[in-house]
Amino acid sequence: MASCLFLQPIKGAGNDLPDVGDYVPDIDVVGHYDLETADLSRYPALCLPAHLDQRFFGSLTSKIEQFLNGGGTLVFNGHVAWPMLPEFQPFVPLNRFSLEDLQIHRLTDHPVFEGVATEELTYRRGVAGFYARGFNPPPEGAVNLHGVGPDRLPCDWVYERPSGGRIFMHAGNDLWMYVGSSDTTARIAPQLCAWASGKGPQQ
Amino acid sequence: MTRLAVLDAGTYYHHRTIYEPRYHDFFDEIIYTRDLPEVDLSAFDTLLVSCRTDPSVLRPRREQIADFLASGKTVVAMGSTGHPDWLPDVKWTDTPTNFWWWKEGGEIGLKIAAPDHPLFTHLTLADVTWHYHGYFQVPDGAQSLVDVGEFGSIFYEDTVSTPGRLLITSLDPMYHHGSFFMPATTRFLDGFLPYLKGIGAGLAKRTSVP
Repeated sequence: MASCLFLQPIKGAGNDLPDVGDYVPDIDVVGHYDLETADLSRYPALCLPAHLDQRFFGSLTSKIEQFLNGGGTLVFNGHVAWPMLPEFQPFVPLNRFSLEDLQIHRLTDHPVFEGVATEELTYRRGVAGFYARGFNPPPEGAVNLHGVGPDRLPCDWVYERPSGGRIFMHAGNDLWMYVGSSDTTARIAPQLCAWASGKGPQQ
Repeated sequence: MTRLAVLDAGTYYHHRTIYEPRYHDFFDEIIYTRDLPEVDLSAFDTLLVSCRTDPSVLRPRREQIADFLASGKTVVAMGSTGHPDWLPDVKWTDTPTNFWWWKEGGEIGLKIAAPDHPLFTHLTLADVTWHYHGYFQVPDGAQSLVDVGEFGSIFYEDTVSTPGRLLITSLDPMYHHGSFFMPATTRFLDGFLPYLKGIGAGLAKRTSVP
């Protein structure tokens, strides 16, 4: 069984998104609109790209809830805009984008970010602001992992659903965009897959 | 005034660009891309294909879009939509994207190719300058609006390949505006949408939100 099922992004021409399969073995990939018929029971985790047709994904709520209720892990990247799951609330952008506002702060240690320097999340090639520019408000009971800006607004969180399954939220570009980087952010994608599939450390 | 329909591919950045108040009133109709087969486009003058709309959704609509152009209408195709798959006579060269020219030295090499074109009463070179993902060879008889070096065009107008008008660009302003990133992309939309609607540049400036 593959460790995670990755949904291919909505994407036209252009090669600005890396192929995570080149860096993390043992994953499966499904075409964007093939999610409707994919058998999710074969996978412990489903990873969604930021380039997501949220209107389409929002039409699959009962399928996704069934997957979660069965113990699945859902990884979401991007800004919540359309109704998709009851645990999701619309993205709240920062109202300023100064360097201080864009600083990423670790709020809780987590296996996905083990050994990842927050400085290298805040800055990419010396530029701040790639990681998060706001947050998707967490449900009550979620554990906040990273906060952005002086108010430490929860841009990353993980939520154990009372009815089963887990949601891992990142309010920014795909966490696997860092695959192949020369700094500690390269650790994220393999650690995410290990954690999400239940094969790696869980706490 | 031009009746403008826009495609919404369901992404968060299309949501911010199309539904939030800053630009919402420019659109006479919002069409979810997967609903396109059921839509009668004859009610509209211009179809705006939003950047990063998946070409797999557009490819089966090639004939519908060709019919729209055959009736003399305008199709605007933004970047990363796989133009050659669903539009006639588009010659595209994919290039690695240099996101860093502005910080790490070098020049992006864009220049306005048709300064007298009405588009440039609404936009400056700075408003079309962020990055590009490749370039087009402009068909004979069509007009480049923005060139990249000596390679080709990143924005051109084609009134010869079809009975209608094509505005073809590799720019992806909705993605970056909708991601709260890159102020040039917001300035681009501030000027470009009033241009598409046929609204004067002065009004466009007055309706801009800081």
